[in-house]
Amino acid sequence: MRIITRLTLAVTALVVTSTVAAQAQTNNASITATATVQTPINVTAAQQLSFGNVFPGVNKTVNATDLTNAGRFDVTGQASTPVTLSFTLPATLLSAGNSMPIVSYTGEYAGNNLQTGGQVFAPASGANPSLSAAGLLFVWVAAQVQPATNQAAGVYTGSITMTVVY
Amino acid sequence: MKAESFVLTGALLFGVPLLAQGRPVTVTGVRGLTYGTVLPGVARIILRTDPANSGQFDIRGPNRNQVLLSFVLPAAMTGPSGALMPLSFSAGDAGYSQAQTIGSQVGFDPRQPFTATLSNNGRGSVFVGGRANPSTNQRAGAYTATLTLNVTVLP
Repeated sequence: MRIITRLTLAVTALVVTSTVAAQAQTNNASITATATVQTPINVTAAQQLSFGNVFPGVNKTVNATDLTNAGRFDVTGQASTPVTLSFTLPATLLSAGNSMPIVSYTGEYAGNNLQTGGQVFAPASGANPSLSAAGLLFVWVAAQVQPATNQAAGVYTGSITMTVVY
Repeated sequence: MKAESFVLTGALLFGVPLLAQGRPVTVTGVRGLTYGTVLPGVARIILRTDPANSGQFDIRGPNRNQVLLSFVLPAAMTGPSGALMPLSFSAGDAGYSQAQTIGSQVGFDPRQPFTATLSNNGRGSVFVGGRANPSTNQRAGAYTATLTLNVTVLP
């Protein structure tokens, strides 16, 4: 009698086990993908590079430290983040089919518009500054024009392009 | 007495393997897929072998049993004001490790179902990487999405 009882218990256990095996054959779980996007870069042409009046045969230089006449680009973006500056620099200024050489580009950048703590650089080589803690960068560009002795009178212009990437 | 012992031993011998085979499959999300800081216009790729940033799921189930792994993958992460950042997954962006170590994965395509075998003690881990593709004018802020792994025990 005792033997039969034990055997019955064992079989019962196996049946229960088989029932469990038939359940829960599928399951799933999820994880989260996350990213944080930094502030996009924005560049503004804030001030033109202005040589003012020039005279035939007299070179004229504007320095990058000239806050009034040097060209200035203003950059906003992610705070304290390094960026790469590159430039397209014209070799001449044009006026109605006449040209005037523009050479010896110089540059300076700073985290403020007063050039406090500014760094000099060569625009032709580009630069790798960082945006300020406020996400700002100011870049000045200057050069020298070389009017010929017979330079035709007129208004001469050219375009300087600065590209900024993270 | 001898007969009782025999019956009891028999029940244990048969019962243990059946219990192990019958263990319900469980899946646990261990680690999220982290792209970290991304820049507008600059794609960010996380490898499945990245120990800090790849996603990880742990699986428990019947010993040595085959399981079918299938992902529900998001097409994009959602950010501020509903902004979307596209995600893409390619062949080899997921990996399975019977040993549950990131260095011993067998790669597979998370876009397709994959059959894996659980270890002798019924364990395995799945790792997943992928690519985030922020646009050049991607809105700044935090983005999230959900990846789900379905695990089915094969007969």
